[in-house]
This record gives sequence, C-alpha cells and structure tokens, in this order.
Amino acid sequence: MSNGEMAMNKEMLELCAWVVKTAKVAGADACMVNLDSNRSVEVSYRDRRPENIKEASTKALNVRVFVNGRYSNQSTSDLRKEALRDFLANAVVATRLLAEDPYRTLPDPKYCQGRAEMDLELADAAYASFTPENRHEMAKAMENACLQAGGDKVISVTAQEEDGKQESVLVASNGFEGYSQGTYYAAFAQMTAQDAGDRRPNGYSYAVTVCRSDLPRPEEIGALAARRTLDLMGAKKIKTETLPIIIENQNVGRLFGGFLSAMFGRSIQQKRSFLADKKGQAVASRHLTLVDDPFITKGLGSRLYDDDGITAKKRVMIEAGVLKEFFVDWYYSRKLEWEPTAGGPSNLVIPPGRRPVQEIMKDLGRGILISGFIGGNSNPTTGDASIGITGQLFENGEPVQAVAEMNIADNHLKFWHKLIEVANDPFLYSSIRFPSLVFENVVVSGV
Amino acid sequence: MAEMSRRSFLKTTAGAAAAVPVLAGGWQHLLGAEKPGYFEREFGISDALCRKVLAASLARGGDYADLYFEHTIGNWIVLEDGKVSRAYSDVALGVGIRTVKGDQVGYGFTQELDEKAMLNAAAIAATIAAGGKTEPAKQFAWLKTKNHYPLKKLLTDVLLTSKLPLVQGVNEKCFARSPLVVKVNATFHDQQKRIMVVTSDGVKAEDLQPRNYLTAAVVAEKQGRREQAGWNLGGRRDFSYFTQAAVEAIATKAVADTLLLFDAVQPPAGEMPVVLGPGVTGVLLHEAIGHGMEADFNRKKTSTYCTMIGKKVAEPFVTIIDDGTIPGMLGSINFDDEGIPGQRTVLVENGMLKSYMHDRISARYYKVKPTGNGRRESYQHYVQPRMRNTLMLAGPAAPQDVIRVAKKGIYVQNVSNGQVKIGEGDFAFYVSQGRMIEDGKLGAPIKDINIMGNGPKMLQNIDIVANDLELFQGGTGACGKGGQAVPCGFGQPSCLVKSLTVGGVRS
Repeated sequence: MSNGEMAMNKEMLELCAWVVKTAKVAGADACMVNLDSNRSVEVSYRDRRPENIKEASTKALNVRVFVNGRYSNQSTSDLRKEALRDFLANAVVATRLLAEDPYRTLPDPKYCQGRAEMDLELADAAYASFTPENRHEMAKAMENACLQAGGDKVISVTAQEEDGKQESVLVASNGFEGYSQGTYYAAFAQMTAQDAGDRRPNGYSYAVTVCRSDLPRPEEIGALAARRTLDLMGAKKIKTETLPIIIENQNVGRLFGGFLSAMFGRSIQQKRSFLADKKGQAVASRHLTLVDDPFITKGLGSRLYDDDGITAKKRVMIEAGVLKEFFVDWYYSRKLEWEPTAGGPSNLVIPPGRRPVQEIMKDLGRGILISGFIGGNSNPTTGDASIGITGQLFENGEPVQAVAEMNIADNHLKFWHKLIEVANDPFLYSSIRFPSLVFENVVVSGV
Repeated sequence: MAEMSRRSFLKTTAGAAAAVPVLAGGWQHLLGAEKPGYFEREFGISDALCRKVLAASLARGGDYADLYFEHTIGNWIVLEDGKVSRAYSDVALGVGIRTVKGDQVGYGFTQELDEKAMLNAAAIAATIAAGGKTEPAKQFAWLKTKNHYPLKKLLTDVLLTSKLPLVQGVNEKCFARSPLVVKVNATFHDQQKRIMVVTSDGVKAEDLQPRNYLTAAVVAEKQGRREQAGWNLGGRRDFSYFTQAAVEAIATKAVADTLLLFDAVQPPAGEMPVVLGPGVTGVLLHEAIGHGMEADFNRKKTSTYCTMIGKKVAEPFVTIIDDGTIPGMLGSINFDDEGIPGQRTVLVENGMLKSYMHDRISARYYKVKPTGNGRRESYQHYVQPRMRNTLMLAGPAAPQDVIRVAKKGIYVQNVSNGQVKIGEGDFAFYVSQGRMIEDGKLGAPIKDINIMGNGPKMLQNIDIVANDLELFQGGTGACGKGGQAVPCGFGQPSCLVKSLTVGGVRS
C-alpha cells in the first residue's frame, strides 16, 4: 500500500468522525456514517477492437440519523465540509417530521465487540501494477480464444474485463469504527452462434476474484464461453416429464435466492416468510448444509462486521436439512425480540460432495443438466416458485439433446427435500460458493 | 441554520426543501428554473466550458461526443406497522462524457462539475480514438420539444407533510377493507431528475423528468395460510395525481388481489392457449418482441429479429409501437439521453416488421434517423437503445370473445418479472395473478407460475386482439439491460396466444 493510500484511509476516517460530531451538533441523538470510495475500469472488445472503454471514480456518503426516537437515511456525493454541514442540518430537521419508532436505535455496543483480528486478504497487492495494456491484453485473449473455439458458428463475440478497488469506512456515535478495502477483477466473455433458422443461441462464461493471480487464464474463459454457447445449439422443448435434474454450480444461487428471501428477520416480522415457524425443523433433505462464512480469505463476501457494525460470525444456517438460523439485523431483532445475527449473507457456502457431475450423470440414467435459468420468480410468503430452464437432456451420462423453453415449478418447502446429492465442484467466483446440486422427481414442463 | 450558498444547497439537499416548510418558502423561485439554463445558473456550466470539454473528448479524433449532466433528487417515505418511521433520500450529481468512433465508445464520468475534473473524464473518453483531433460545433442551439410530463409544482417543493397522508391513507384503507389483512407496507417515492445533454454537433437540450409512485403491499391471513399481493400507481406525474381516489384505488386492488389468492390453484403444466388480460401484461410484449427489436442487438446480428425487417411477423390486426410521448407515462421522454426528441416508433404495423429502436450509433449503422431510444440509467452509464412505453394497439374483437375462443387455458391478469434470450427469442414471464379458462369462461384463480415462449413464434400465434387497450398506470416498472435499469411503460389489449408453455406443477 502506498503512503497516498494510507493518508486516504486516515482522511476518510477523520471525515466520518467529523460527520458524526457535526450531526450531533445539529441535533442528532445518534448517527452512523458510511463513506465509500470506488475506482473502476472497464474494457470490452468486439470484432478484434475495443468496443467500450470506461473509467471513473465515485464517492458516496450515507448517514443514518437518529433524532428524538425518529430515523432517516440520507446519501450524498458532495463531501465538502461546508456542504455537509448543511446536508446534516437538513437531515436532522427532516427526520423530526417522521413518526417515532422505539425499535430504531444504534446497536447495543456489546454486539459490536470481539471483532476477529485477521487479515481477510481482500486487497490485491498486485493491483497497483495492473496496467491499461494488461487490461487490453486480457480482453483480447478472451475474445481470440472464444472466436477460435467457436469456429464457423460464431456470429458475435464480446469479451470484457472490469476491475476496481474500493475503500469503505463505517463510523457511529456509539463508538463503532470500521475500515475495509478491497480489489476485484472480473472477466466475462459471451458468444452468439448461428443455429438452425432464426435461432442465435447466446452463451457466456465469467469469473470474478479479489486477486489477479486467482483469475483463470483469459483463454480458458473465452473457450468456455464458446463451449457453453455451442452446447445450446439445436435446443428444443421436449414433452413434460418427471425427471432427475442437476443444477450447474453457478446457477444454483439464482434458484436458492427464493429460499433465501424468506430467511431475513424483516420477512419474518412482516409475515412474508414461508420459513417463519420452521426453525429447528427439516426444510430440506439431509444433503443440504448451508454455512454463512465471513472469514474466507480472498472471499468476495468476506467481512469483519455487517452494515450495522455487528461483529461477523461464521454460522451454520441449515445443518443436514434442519433450519438453524435466520439473518436478523439489529432493527428487526428488536421488533421480533430475538437476538441479532447478521443483516445479510457474507459468503454462502454449501459444503461440496465427493463426486464430479459427470460421474453422477452416469448413475442417474435420464435427466436434465440445467445450465441456465430464464424469467421466473418466487413468492417469499408461500414458497411457491416457478422458473424457466435451458440445458442438456442426458441419458446414461451422455448429453443427447439441448433443451430450451422449458420450466420447473414447485414449492421451496417441498423442492429442497428432493435434493439427493451435492457435487464436488463449488463455484468460487462469487460470494455464493455453491456446488452443482442433484434433485430427483422434478416435473419439467415442456410440450 | 448556517448560511449556505444556493449552489451548495441544491447540490447537497435531497429532502429538506420538501421536508422543511420554513425553508421551502425561501426557494419558491426554483420554479423559474423551468426556463432553459438550469445547469448554467446553478453550477456555472457555460457553452464555452462545454465546448472546451467536448474538444478534449475529441482530441484524438472520433465521430461524435456528448456530455450528459445530471442532478437527481430522490425521496422515499416508508410506512410499516402503521407508522411512517423511515425516510430515505439520495442526491446524484455528475456528468458523463462520451466519445464515439463508429460503434466504439469511450466513457468517463465525474461527480465534480469543475473544469479540471471534466477535462480528466474527457481525456479518458478520448482514448477510444487514435487519430487527429475533431472539432466540436462552434455554437449550441437549445432543442425545443413538447413537454409530456408538465408539473404544476416542482416535486422538490412538495412538503413531506403533504406526502405523509398518502401512505397513511393506503394503510388505513387496506386494513379497513378486510379483517384478514395482517400487514401493510406503503411507500411513496418521488424523484426529480434534471438533465442536460450537450452534443458535439451543436445540440443542447435540458429536461426535468419527474418520477413517482405510491405502493401498497398487503399480507392477509386466512385459516393459518398467508398470501401477499400489491398494487401501485404512478409514472411521471404532478403531485396532484395522488388524490384520495388514487389512494382508494390502490388499497382496493391490493386487498382484493391478495384475498383472491386464497382460492388459487396450480394450473397443469404444458402447452396451452394463453389469454393476456389488458394492461400490465404488456410485460410479455416487452420481453417477447421489445428487447429483440433494440437495434444494437440487430446491428451485432445477435437478435433473432435481425433478418426480419420488412417481413410479415404477425397477423394483420397486430400493431406494436414504442411511444415516448404518452402524457405522464413512466417511459415517456421529451428527448432521449443523447438529445433526440421523444417520439412514437412503429415496430410492427399490421403484422409487418417496420423498424428497430435506434440510438445514434445504430441509426448511423443502418443509415436511418435515430428514433429517440438512446437511454441510460444515469451519468455513470453509456447510452444503449432502450424501450420507452411499448404497447400493442387495440384490435377488432370484443374482450369476452377472446376468452370464449380460448376455450381452455390460462388467463393472465398480473405479471411480475420477465426475461428474454435475445438470440433465441425465448422468453419467460412470471404470472403473479390469473385465472383458469374452462369452457370459454373464467374459472379458478391461479398464481405464481412462469410462462415460457418464443418471441417470433408467439407473434405468429396471436389469434385475436381485442378493442380494450389499457395502459399500465404504475410507477415502479424498471427494465434491466447491460447492468442498467431505466423506467419503462407497458400497454396491452386483451389478446389470445394460441399456445405457450405453462410451467405448472402437475404433468
């Protein structure tokens, strides 16, 4: 880290402390300030030349103001002190017009104590030496590999590199002080192919990491995008059938999102959770264990405290199918009269199983490997969900037909009991680190 | 309160003018800002400065450059458990600078509206080109357009105390409707977005885009079962749109829709006729044809529609338009985010595919006039061709005939969420509310079902269009593309699609 960056940290912390002090002078009883500073760069290639180049820095200050039992939350990007003084004065006056809310306070400091003393390694030391030439080379290499692997089927290839660094400071009048910094690198390649008639399947692959050295080679990402696109060729819908399905690792998160939405304190307190009375009960088969782990080094969701400043802890949310915990932030913990846990997930982990997908496919006989979802939604109050799928019909471990325009629908409280195996391939390029999952007896609707 | 410059007040204050009566009076002359020149008056953005920054963005060549200034003030008040005990506000101020060379784009933006910061951002945008410099226009002329969303009063001048009764009213009326109602959330949001576009070809255009909505989200409980539904009204409205009648309408529909779900059944899975009811079901049109008709996908040959211009894609009674000029609708724009006037673009006329939706880049590629569809989420984003209000025009049939002819299938009343795969044309949309159709009549309610189809096939399969075109009057519709969300409107008459895949749970 350069001296300039060190100075920046101190400057950000000092500004936040000043904001807290100034808000109190303006009449706030308590306040919590979050200051983010981000820099991001983006380079994309198409037709072997840059398509887009973008670069910018942003700052954002967010203030949570508590006045006379009342609360508001205000954001600005103007960080000049004279402007902030007015901003805070106005925030206090506006807050006074709202209704009193006895549940709205800063967290009890005891929940903010005992912060882990560890380096999560979220800032890549190599970032400072990542040059514009490196970015262009990366995008070009992805594009080239995708064009080569796609061959004469290629209509269009786009390859995009994005990277950035961010710093964040959280300071509150209850004495809380936190600082974090991070870097990220994202590589994305997509291809459109010519299929029969007017069908032009589009597939993609991507990776996001904290450190440059953990990114797959750009050639691999490009080639994989081509392979995933070619896998969609000739897709059609087949007859409605009850089948085993395998949901590919990087897509599990989207389906699980519907389940997750019912795991929040707010959903429960607002009577919008199908899981509200299920703590301690089996909500999935014994194959599902879900861990919220904030301490994974170089993890995209890693952190030492949450948005309320509450100390991060590793928690088993679902253990062998049994629901153990909810995500309860400070405010809803008070409304529910429960203990707070965390406002939301950090890194979500489903511990991997033993076997690769290919081996599992051989045992399943006939089934569908789902490689993409489309549309769909989930009702957090009832657990009903329905979502479109694309993927491969397989028989005896071999793909026999690409499928599209098909759908799966179920209730989350039934669906996760159909989980029969967890594969050994966690997707590590996201804060949702799930392996591929295998379900039995799923109605896949088509013709 | 400390003395403040007018400029710092505008830059920093989101809710205060609205929230603080004592201040609001002092700033009434803001209404005068309706005359062009807001950014010059408030932030000192002169023509000379614009020209200097444009020249910097074309310093290495390029065909075109533009500046997009934005000052947006957004406020939310939220009612939960009977109290308005939460308010949010956000101020966005910045300028995006774009250099275009053919179909290549360089982009920089800054939150600081001073010359040095703007020249830095322009230098980044300029890197897309690598040649001799291009000269921007010597002078800029104000673009004159109609105003499709006039305001009687600036949204920033509406007092917080005038907004509170709206969410309180929604809450009271929802609970009064039924003893089964157990939770109500109500939100009022208003956003005032001021933009100025200055282009290297001499256009300067300034707009004030309002956006607002009032929502009700209801949970009801009956014999241990719970259901949720909601409704909202809004768009680009003057505050006077939110009357007691509007409050009543939102509460009535939100509660009625929630209660209906207690009787809902799951439809069977498989292909069947689908009738779209009027209004918000236009989401299907948006997914099935709208995105595929955005010209960037066609210019890149990645849309299934890229070879279909001039061809018959539907029966002669099908006409589909994208219209930025409908008063007060969420997707309306006086001009787009690259200074092209808002307009009505016919996509499908009497069954023939007529035009894509263009931004400047694609219009140049196709050698046609831009259609005013160049939009962006904010100064932090570059322009893409995007929809405005996309609707199917009314056809000849009576609505009851559509259901009668469908005979057995699904009737779609409300949808939440949709998605399309542009290249294949495959789309999905999620039915949050609908009915079974049995023997040509509406039957049991249904809910929470995804419906799948293919855009071009669906267009061909539209068998009947009714004469009951209804525009969705909501304010919450946002469309996502390339990581950018922009507000869009929908409209749809009742129509029968011969066959779509219904994602039920029974085989």
